[in-house]
Amino acid sequence: MITLRGVTKQYGTGLLALQDVNLEVKKGEFVFVVGPSGAGKSTLIKLLYREEVPTRGQVIVGGKDLCKMGRREVPFLRRRIGVVFQDYRLLPDRTVGENVAFALMVTGYGGRDLQKSVSQVLSMVGLRDRQNAYPSELSGGEQQRVALARALVRNPDLLLADEPSGNLDPQTSLEIFKLIERANMYGTTVVVATHARQIVDSMRKRVVELKKGVIVRDARRGAYDY
Amino acid sequence: MRYSTSGYLLSETGKSIWRNKMSSFLSCATTALSLFLLGVAFLININLRLMFTVVQSQMEIQAYLRADATLDQAASVVQAVKKIPGVSDVKYVSKAEALEELKAMFQDKASVLEGLGEDNPLPASVRVKTAAAEDVPRVAAEIKKIPTVDDVIYQEEASRRLMSLGRASQLVSLGGMLVVGLVAIMVIGNSIRLTIDSRRHEIAIMKLVGATDGLIVGPFLMEGVVLGVLGGLFGAGMVVGLYTWVVGGLESALPFIPVARLNMDTAGRMLGIMLTTGVAVGVVGSVTSLRRHLDV
Repeated sequence: MITLRGVTKQYGTGLLALQDVNLEVKKGEFVFVVGPSGAGKSTLIKLLYREEVPTRGQVIVGGKDLCKMGRREVPFLRRRIGVVFQDYRLLPDRTVGENVAFALMVTGYGGRDLQKSVSQVLSMVGLRDRQNAYPSELSGGEQQRVALARALVRNPDLLLADEPSGNLDPQTSLEIFKLIERANMYGTTVVVATHARQIVDSMRKRVVELKKGVIVRDARRGAYDY
Repeated sequence: MRYSTSGYLLSETGKSIWRNKMSSFLSCATTALSLFLLGVAFLININLRLMFTVVQSQMEIQAYLRADATLDQAASVVQAVKKIPGVSDVKYVSKAEALEELKAMFQDKASVLEGLGEDNPLPASVRVKTAAAEDVPRVAAEIKKIPTVDDVIYQEEASRRLMSLGRASQLVSLGGMLVVGLVAIMVIGNSIRLTIDSRRHEIAIMKLVGATDGLIVGPFLMEGVVLGVLGGLFGAGMVVGLYTWVVGGLESALPFIPVARLNMDTAGRMLGIMLTTGVAVGVVGSVTSLRRHLDV
């Protein structure tokens, strides 16, 4: 699903975010990316949905070399990837239903099927009755569930999450991770960058640890620390 | 709640204008005001042109015929003058008609002319109008060459001044229109840019979920067009209202000043200019400011 070969990312400011990173994630895997702030976790996620391109090396997602990908192909890559962020990134002037529907609409999906999919995914995250609410009327946890619904409504091959529980209390965080794990059980490959130690420790998934842009650990059923 | 892709563009445009009521209103008002100024400049230009043509049409060359000229000779003069390029109208005025005009001019003081008795000292003449004021000197010189013509009189100084004034005023008003048009473009373009800048967050999210550039640009573009058209219509309404009011006042106060009527043709042309500018600016402004946000 994902192959990183000798990936180095240096930003225009000179900041060296990733250094010669090699990583292989198989289809259906669940991977935690952990490490202190500034270790390169967010950069790694950004490379996977082509928000950034590496300075050196190869990033292959779903068989496509993202470095060789044209600007016009990017939207089509992103339609197969769901992305969730710490700050939810919902469209503030659209309802919950519209936010989720938008992700389907951009793919040319419409009509009755669209409504059905939206309702289904909102039921899955437990927000079916909030379909007509605006993001500002929701709690942080609810907003993140909407973001997750938006990411999952297209049955993505890959789900990326960058600190999805960064702004949430432990109980709500757990609910979010349960939903992510559920998507994983249905076959979606998951990569989550997180600081949520307890959750990483309890879920026992593959853990990749970054430090100063270098992978220092890759454990099959790992914990947050050694 | 219904979603569909078919009506996506239109419904998105409507929703987007409604969601951003305040900024939509401001863009629309800015566009209307800028285009209003453009319309005013256009009407000033039209009126200057009209005034120039009216005054120009009043420029006349008078060719006095020799006292012994026969009617046949007079007729051949008229024919000869008609053949001169640039001549638009030729009118023969006989000795008797000239006297009648003179009497009419003196009206109640016609007794002054009684001393003339049966002897009419006024010469017959040919009055010539040219299509353009700048042709007057040349046409006058040509007429002078005709043997039966005794003398040619025209307001040389006046026609020259009129010519240069006409050109200058037209240049100035055209230049004014251009400047106002440019200002309109900048003002409208800027307000669109601000609108889009304020929504860069939204654009980033759309890109994140895999919207193509076209899908993102479409509604914005449509919005630019709709606001441009609305602004143009409001602006035109204001111009028409103001113009009708000003012309009404002017016609009763200064009836001798020629004023262009706002007929369908003029109004149509004005609306055309205003709407084209509005829409063009809407489209160009949206596209240029969007491009910055669309770059990956």
